[in-house]
Amino acid sequence: MRDKAQTLVREMVSNIYLPRPVSIKRVKEETGDIKTFTLGFKDQDKKDRFTFRPGQFVLVSVFNCGEAPISICSSPTFSGGLQLSIKKMGLLTGEIHRCTKGDELGLRGPYGNGFPLEQLYGRDLLLVGGGIGLAPLRSLIEYVISERSEFGQVTVLYGARTAQDLVFKDDLSAWDTEKDVNVITTVYRDSATWKGNIGPLTSLWKKAAISPLNTKAIICGHPAIVSYVVFDLLKMGFGEDDIITTLERHMKCGVGKCGHCSIGSKFTCRHGPVFTYQEIKALPSVL
Amino acid sequence: MPDELILNKEHLTGFLRKIANERELIAPVKNQYGDTLFEIVSCVDDVSLDLESRPVVPPKNFFLPRTEILFNYRHEGKEYRFEEALPDISRVLFGLRSCDLWAILFFDVVFQENFKDRYYLNRRSNTILINIGCHKPMQNCFCKSAQSGPFLAYGYDLQFTDMGDRFFVEIGRPGGRELVEKWDYFFEPVTQKDRNEQYEIVLEAESGFERIVDFDTAVSRFINDEVDEALWEELGNRCQGCGGCAYVCPTCYCFDIADRPVSDSKGERVRTHDACTLAGFTRLAGGYNPRHERRRRIRRRFYHKLAFAKERYHRPSCVGCGRCVEICFGRIDMIHFIRTVCEQPGKAMKASLRLGEILLDAGLISKEELKAALEKQADTGKPIGAQLIEDGVITKEDVARALGIQLGIP
Repeated sequence: MRDKAQTLVREMVSNIYLPRPVSIKRVKEETGDIKTFTLGFKDQDKKDRFTFRPGQFVLVSVFNCGEAPISICSSPTFSGGLQLSIKKMGLLTGEIHRCTKGDELGLRGPYGNGFPLEQLYGRDLLLVGGGIGLAPLRSLIEYVISERSEFGQVTVLYGARTAQDLVFKDDLSAWDTEKDVNVITTVYRDSATWKGNIGPLTSLWKKAAISPLNTKAIICGHPAIVSYVVFDLLKMGFGEDDIITTLERHMKCGVGKCGHCSIGSKFTCRHGPVFTYQEIKALPSVL
Repeated sequence: MPDELILNKEHLTGFLRKIANERELIAPVKNQYGDTLFEIVSCVDDVSLDLESRPVVPPKNFFLPRTEILFNYRHEGKEYRFEEALPDISRVLFGLRSCDLWAILFFDVVFQENFKDRYYLNRRSNTILINIGCHKPMQNCFCKSAQSGPFLAYGYDLQFTDMGDRFFVEIGRPGGRELVEKWDYFFEPVTQKDRNEQYEIVLEAESGFERIVDFDTAVSRFINDEVDEALWEELGNRCQGCGGCAYVCPTCYCFDIADRPVSDSKGERVRTHDACTLAGFTRLAGGYNPRHERRRRIRRRFYHKLAFAKERYHRPSCVGCGRCVEICFGRIDMIHFIRTVCEQPGKAMKASLRLGEILLDAGLISKEELKAALEKQADTGKPIGAQLIEDGVITKEDVARALGIQLGIP
């Protein structure tokens, strides 16, 4: 209670648009155009205050480039720093890709609702990721592994365009060795070295032996992939509130004011980015 | 000090002069081109105040500037730091109208709900608002229908009623009392005759509206999704995507935040106005745009004004000032629009679309191609999407997008 009151007071006096300085502790090249950055807060006090849940995002500032919303890909239980996987898309992300160890960025957040953990406890989890969409799921998967007894069987289905586009390769094989965690990876296009499945994510249903019984499905990826997967899951008998996905929107403020990410009377940055399919269906088609 | 006073018009300039000496005074001023705009008045005697017409642009710029610096940032060595540029200025906004004041009350909700916006709130809490109730509705005014005028019951620091040779002054919030107490020698006590006269002026003003619309019916049509699709098609064709309506709208608050480089080592983070009718408003990195058609953007705008604001903030965000009616090149007229929506038959228009129709709608396939695929489908038993892909008419990507629309995944 006291903590909550203190947070409220802090919110009243603090500037919601002020980024905190963070420095890059490590850069890992995932693919040709995706890098994972491990960040540390410059100010110890702020690090202590920075808590988040899987599925939340931060707004990252890059010198002279503005801000962009990026999903957190590390678990809140990971003590080695905050991790962000960033795909090179435009000006800002291009500039981040040029950054090296020791460079500083600005960061504010965390924002968004995150995954509904209280609904996931005790359930089997089907986690479906396409491309860089695995980033927010990684935060959840690592969290689930660190709190293993709280969750049931975990199935991770991950797809990328080619074998060269797969992210978190080390993590994928590490997760697979965990008890009651099954990881299946697929690529859309064949390559000489690839020995795994070839085809879209929806070609993995048979291999994964999925059942809607006591299962929550979480899908992150390009809207087209999400559509295909949701379509199949509904046919398999998944309840509309057992299918969870994230929506991606252009964002500027992160706090439900600037209007860019609004869908109906909801803001993706505040009421999302995580929504159940049931909630999405109730959103007006008018966008 | 009583709650009501009289200010003789010959004392207005003196009162404003006193104000301008102590605070920044903003008032409606007629410029050399004949337009009336809210301007900072440093010397009351040098400008021609215009208290008869509605300023072209609402006073929102004094709370949410068109461009404002949020931070100054610098980059030295590895260090990258932000320095706040919080506004700190005391103002009096004189001569705003009930619709504009109502819009500011709407802004208050937006900018302090959940997360508090200190830039807005700093300006807002240091500004004293002097409202002039409208004794005569202007062309295209429909504040009576929007319940945001012509006079307000609360929200103002002072509210003036024009009574010919004098103003009837109502004291509202503490800022107003402060001004009146400080320069009390300009004011006189009210008589019962003054009160009666003011009451008659208000009644006359309320009955003088030619533009009357039924907000409640329109809002419920929107909330129940009963607006005919053809209407959006028509409005989409007429909208030029210029953003003018948002520019003059007193309740449009959407903004952009971007960096403005000053040198290789420093720059400014600025906030600027933005508009949902502009094409890039929702465009994502990578180019995907959920509202890529003009019809969808204009639909969003009207839904936001009438339905979403009501759902989220318990009031429609149209205050009936009529400015957008006057500025639109495409003659998209809020008044006409609300009437049209109200006149529609009240049946549910929302229906689940079929995949083929969605593709046809998006112009991805022709009627002939759909017909051919449907005939083949009868033999092969394949889903229509798969059949069209097999026929080479469309790509998997197109089907996925259409499937998304069908499932309601935006």
